[in-house]
Amino acid sequence: MWSFYFSQLADSIPFFLKGLWMTFKISGISLVLGTILGFCVGIARAGGIKPLRYLLYIYVDVMRGTPYLVQIFIVFFILPEWGIQLAAFPAAIFSLTLYAGAYICEIVAGGIEAVDEGQTEAAMATGLNRFQRTRYVVMPQAMRTILPPLVGQYVLLIKDSSIVSVIGLTDITRVGWLTVQRIPEGIMVFGLVGILYFSICYPLILLSNWFERRLRAQGG
Amino acid sequence: MLSTFNFRVIWDYMGLFLQGLWATAWISAIGLTGALSVGIIACMMRISGKKFLSAPAIAYIELIRSTPLLVQLYFFYFGLPSLGIRFTEYQTGIFALSLNSGAYMAEILRAGVQSIPGGQVEAGIAFGLNYLQRLRYIILPQAIGVTIPPMLGQTIVLVKDSALLSLISVFELTRASQILTSERFMPAEGFLTVAVFYLLLYYILKSLSGWWQRRLIHRQA
Amino acid sequence: MIRFEKVNKWFGKHHVLQDIDFHVAAGDVAVICGPSGSGKSTLIRCINRLEPIQSGDIVVDGMSLTDKKTNITRLRAEVGFVFQQFNLYPHMTALENVTLAPLKVRKMNQNEADELGRELLEKVGIQEKASAYPAQLSGGQQQRVAIARGLAMRPKIMLFDEPTSALDPEMINEVLDVMRKLAFEGMTMAVVTHEMGFAREVANNMVFMDEGKIIETGDPERFYTHPENERTRLFLSKILSH
Repeated sequence: MWSFYFSQLADSIPFFLKGLWMTFKISGISLVLGTILGFCVGIARAGGIKPLRYLLYIYVDVMRGTPYLVQIFIVFFILPEWGIQLAAFPAAIFSLTLYAGAYICEIVAGGIEAVDEGQTEAAMATGLNRFQRTRYVVMPQAMRTILPPLVGQYVLLIKDSSIVSVIGLTDITRVGWLTVQRIPEGIMVFGLVGILYFSICYPLILLSNWFERRLRAQGG
Repeated sequence: MLSTFNFRVIWDYMGLFLQGLWATAWISAIGLTGALSVGIIACMMRISGKKFLSAPAIAYIELIRSTPLLVQLYFFYFGLPSLGIRFTEYQTGIFALSLNSGAYMAEILRAGVQSIPGGQVEAGIAFGLNYLQRLRYIILPQAIGVTIPPMLGQTIVLVKDSALLSLISVFELTRASQILTSERFMPAEGFLTVAVFYLLLYYILKSLSGWWQRRLIHRQA
Repeated sequence: MIRFEKVNKWFGKHHVLQDIDFHVAAGDVAVICGPSGSGKSTLIRCINRLEPIQSGDIVVDGMSLTDKKTNITRLRAEVGFVFQQFNLYPHMTALENVTLAPLKVRKMNQNEADELGRELLEKVGIQEKASAYPAQLSGGQQQRVAIARGLAMRPKIMLFDEPTSALDPEMINEVLDVMRKLAFEGMTMAVVTHEMGFAREVANNMVFMDEGKIIETGDPERFYTHPENERTRLFLSKILSH
């Protein structure tokens, strides 16, 4: 029985690769957009205009305080009621970007706040404006503290992208779910799905650890 | 938008939501207990310094951290029966949740243990304390202080992750809103209401963590 | 060049600057001293608005700090500032630290900026460390790079906030030497320091502050030998005894 299912599974490999490509596309696009969003709001929050700051606190809390599963249901099922019709793919990108942005915002704001106040003052004193201070003095230093948790966050987000399978996108997880209906060997099917995720996530975990060791070696 | 928002339905289904909230709370509580037990064991194995103990612990932690909870959940849900193991959906869900969070708990504990200066452990050795005694009297009391906030953070993750159990038809908070959606097709009322409940749980855990951190700072000062 | 008019500043309820009137003429060197918490650092930080003031006015090179039309970024470029903790950018070489503002604010091209940077590093005596990072330099060398950085915008005024108090004793002189040189070249300077030898040699005006007020001003010779105020005398006896 096992070998029979095994050869069936081997025949499904192209299907799995298609799923892998979908996972790549969804997490890749939303990580790029989420990183841009997260850096923008993170820098804005650390820069600290009061009302904006509170607004961003609410955004971050709502995204971090509710399950992504509920968020994607809201985007996919509720927005249409308000006249915003999103197909599954853009709905996934949209919700995952907002979700990623909140976590990345926290990491970026934390990194900026860890840079010594004297650095900003020194840059101010030589006449650099707010943008120049952020771009040339604060961010290059903040990046060192931002990078390890940022890459760690990417791993969490790639894993959370598996949840988009519930709105019918055929990423690796949904490919597994569809396959297991035909090949009732859960261990084999989801073992394969797991291996595929592992091959994406584990190198990133190693990268994050490497960034962290480098940071500690530099005494930051 | 609010004109079409039906508060009446939310009220009618409040009993269902509260049942869901209660289920989420106890699923999380059992999951947390499981995660802490698994985490403590995995952490002790990992820092034991003995390869035959640390290697499986590392493999477990890295495998869990590199794969999504949803895939782990399906792995057990679809996989255990073919091994002849008959779990209910609840058992499968809580089992997967505990194993998943356990890996993160193990890493949090390890960071806590490593934050204790080596000199203190050496002092313990010098006083003739054995490994378990050093763990019990020197390492754990200090490690717990610094690990409480990240553990509460992981608890927040666990509570939110328990929403995934709805996908293997476990009844909890998210499932309650799915029921409302399928019975009355009112997703806005259902999902926004449970979002508010989750936020409530989030703020409780977050303020607990903040309170502990302030306490920690006071004690050090 | 710098004029304080009835300046008041609070940190919350704490009244850190009380009715400060004070001025530094072009080419003059003013040395400000006083016990810690007296407001002397706050006073000097107000001059390029690292600290805002709540009432009164400060006029720097004809530009009022309270005037909404004053371009504060441009004003800061006219005033060099040297910090107690150096605050060099750790991710840039000594030369890059000096050339950042000329490149970005003055929009100089790379060659001009590098030339200016090397010239200034030579002036503070560490041209050979141009490509070293701050972490590779001693405290005295770092502070000299910081002075070169302060000079890079060709300022009309240089402000020094306890420039030698974070230094090991054997490095203090190399920094003071650079400051002396600047003073003799005619730079307008305001310096918060307790270095008496330096003050006696270059200061035109001594200012003693305590509890947010200017207690006594005067020329350094008389200030050190015949202080008028009891508090000044007490303070001087403390710093001179070691």
